[in-house]
Amino acid sequence: MKNRQPAYRDEPTSSSRAVDRTPAPTAKNLKKRVPFAFAAVGALLALTACGGAVHADSASGPGSEPVSGGTLVYATGDTEPACLDPIVSGNVPQALVSTQYLEPLFFQDEKGEIGPWLAKSWKWSNDRLALDITVRSDVHFTDGQQLNAETIIKNVAYIKDPKTLSSTGILAVEKVASVEKIDEFTARLHLSEPDNALLEHFAQVWVPIQSQKALARGAEANCLSPVGTGPFKVESWSKQQEVVLTRNNEYHTPSPTAAHAGPAYLEKIIWRFLPDHAARFAALQSGEVDVIDVLQPQNAVAADADPALDTLIGSRPGHVVNLTLNTTEGVFTDVRVREAFVRSVDVDAALKSIFMSTVPRSNSVLSSITKFNRQNPEAYSTDVAKANRLLDEAGWTARDAEGYRIKDGVRLSTTAIQTEAVLVPVSVLEQFQHSAKAVGFELVISQEEPASFNAKRYAWEYGLSPLYYTKNSPSVLNIVYDSAHIPSVIKGGYHANNNGLTGPEAQDIDKALRLAATTGSEKQRGQLYAKAQQLIDKQYLSLPIFDQQTRLGFRSDVEGVKLLSPLGMPTFYDTWLDRS
Amino acid sequence: MSTPRSLPTTVTDPEEAMTHSIQTTVLDTPPVRDVPPTPRAAADPSFTSTLVSTIGSLGPSIIVPLILLLGLIAAAVIPSVLTPSGPLDMNPAEAFTAPGAAHWFGTDESGRDVYSRVIHGARSSLLIGILATVIGLGLALVLGAIAGLGTRAVDFGVSRFLEVLFAFPGLLLALLVITILGPGVVTTTIGVGLSAAPGYARMIRSQVLSIRGSGYVEASIVQGKSRAFIIRHHILPNVAAPLFVLATLGVGQAIVWASSLSFLGLGATPPDPEWGSMLSLGRLYIGNAWWLTVFPGLFIVLSAATTTLLGHGIQRKLKDK
Repeated sequence: MKNRQPAYRDEPTSSSRAVDRTPAPTAKNLKKRVPFAFAAVGALLALTACGGAVHADSASGPGSEPVSGGTLVYATGDTEPACLDPIVSGNVPQALVSTQYLEPLFFQDEKGEIGPWLAKSWKWSNDRLALDITVRSDVHFTDGQQLNAETIIKNVAYIKDPKTLSSTGILAVEKVASVEKIDEFTARLHLSEPDNALLEHFAQVWVPIQSQKALARGAEANCLSPVGTGPFKVESWSKQQEVVLTRNNEYHTPSPTAAHAGPAYLEKIIWRFLPDHAARFAALQSGEVDVIDVLQPQNAVAADADPALDTLIGSRPGHVVNLTLNTTEGVFTDVRVREAFVRSVDVDAALKSIFMSTVPRSNSVLSSITKFNRQNPEAYSTDVAKANRLLDEAGWTARDAEGYRIKDGVRLSTTAIQTEAVLVPVSVLEQFQHSAKAVGFELVISQEEPASFNAKRYAWEYGLSPLYYTKNSPSVLNIVYDSAHIPSVIKGGYHANNNGLTGPEAQDIDKALRLAATTGSEKQRGQLYAKAQQLIDKQYLSLPIFDQQTRLGFRSDVEGVKLLSPLGMPTFYDTWLDRS
Repeated sequence: MSTPRSLPTTVTDPEEAMTHSIQTTVLDTPPVRDVPPTPRAAADPSFTSTLVSTIGSLGPSIIVPLILLLGLIAAAVIPSVLTPSGPLDMNPAEAFTAPGAAHWFGTDESGRDVYSRVIHGARSSLLIGILATVIGLGLALVLGAIAGLGTRAVDFGVSRFLEVLFAFPGLLLALLVITILGPGVVTTTIGVGLSAAPGYARMIRSQVLSIRGSGYVEASIVQGKSRAFIIRHHILPNVAAPLFVLATLGVGQAIVWASSLSFLGLGATPPDPEWGSMLSLGRLYIGNAWWLTVFPGLFIVLSAATTTLLGHGIQRKLKDK
């Protein structure tokens, strides 16, 4: 579901290859190169500071001591969440804000390794059908409730309750059949089948651990004021305006990458909703707000020229921002036509012009920071001659008066749906439209309201749809490419698989993905995900464009702004205001 | 009926005329409401010659906007002759080029020539402006004539109906129409036309009423002329002259409204060049590439100002006669 409410358009990326661990900082960032070198490594690859080595903060003079107190104003360009508890639904806007007040059981670092957080230790059974999780015994929620084995039982039950309307969380605990209390602080999860991604799931803020007392109030009350263990707590929420977060003075569970211990420095965070890109950036420039997200490329360029502003940009894991091709009907039922379309468009030119070269290209369906991602530039490169040849082979040889190819009197045409709230701006589609026309392929752009965009997507009424799916695991492929997710399982018609491929080719993909999810060997898991990606690339089910990104712009006197692994969400635990 | 808000006759110099025209546009009030009825004898053969001589004795307040308008019309009719490249021609390698010898108005985020797009955009803007005004005036003519010529009860009914429509600000009514019919150029045109109609209709009604009570109509009735004859020979010709002015003035307003709707993403669809949608997109880059907003904005102002100035100029000339 998170791909339904993404950040706004123009969200670019930083697809520095997983193999190439250099920051690959973009030219625009030269000004901040020094303080940013580490930031970029951490942000682009790890999305978080790791082991304290990665401090994405702006340059504070050496020896400047963090100051406690003050209010930080954050303006988000992302959609306002419908619920502040990320269990309900489970999308990026929720992850952004709830990272400040909720914490998960495990911490996953930038290499994909799992470590403890609220959980102290864990142990798999030999058949990998049971997982014992022991939580810390010294943690209390901000409502005074103690964290214990019962908390895990109640949290899993809450996610699985159909009334909760969870979409991300429910997929995360899909394999968890039951939870059993072993002792006061240890719970045993019984699985229906082995799940290699289970610990990764429990390391996302979409599957946080919340107070069982708070959950007992029901989803409606919990949506307004979720109760967690984070460095801040929800004070109030004025809808369509702002969420006020106040410091948790008892806080003592920082992530392994935090730079200090104890409560946060900031006293308060005002989380404002300011969807207009130009207005948001203007508010940052004037100092009305301290931090903004969904920083547009042109504004990143401007921020770099402004000594009062800094930027922090990092990739998010999961399914990259892409155009997904609907194979269930129309011209894209033919794989040759799918490849021809992909070969006809020039992604690099679009990134260079519209994104002002601030966003690297992705040639993989998996984000460059997601484990086992396999970049395949050969498959996704522009090749107009090949596109023409493939279309000729597919029988689209005749042309109509406007120069478009026709077959049996039907024009070679497809429709891309687009909405303001996806990361692919309409100008990118216009460029694709222009280059597709050169091979006689008509691309119609249909700009939609968010509601009609989703309605069309649920009803498979599109040829192409810009999409992404944030997840800190290669198992995101199981969600968006397994043909089992073609039918809708959730009320409203949402389906996680949007390419709709069926038949023997789809079965091959399913087989590789399902084996990868259950195999006991990490090496084999890697090989299987590589094979799955190869099969997906060969079927041209989507055109990868760029990694999803978290893009922050902030005032230079805001110190210690960081992105937290594994989702790359901003965290303000180490943040302080240098305004004495 | 509203009393004239400001009499065009008091406008003596072009600058003041400009102020007035802008004011009119901003207020969304059909300016011709201000025109006092100018009853003339039926089937006045001098109407055409009036126009001709009006054009012949034009002052700069008409000549200047007329030349500009002719330029815009040329852009609308033969854009390809006036521009070096097509409005959709892309060259991403030249994105965000500042105005210069190669690209007079610079290029946009896909390397399209802004000058070519602005010139090609004239057609849809003028067309929407003219068609919307025709729709609005056509509808207004029917409603206004029914109210003005009908019985007291009919007049009452139509007038109340118009007042209900007046309760909606014009643009809101257009938005309502687009919400129902869906976005696009055609629906924008209809929407703008419909929302302009109530203002015109009121104008026409009062015009018809004053002509109906004039001496020459009474004379015709005494002569035993038929109702149809009177409408055809007295009412319609006398409504026509102010209607022409009304139309000229209305086009400017319609262009602004249509651009506003496109700005909101309800008008032209991508990648069609349309001033409002160009402005909307350019707004994102206002700190980096000023030319993306300045030139389309300038043309919206220019087209609205020329038609409005021209309308006022003609109005004044007609009054002087």
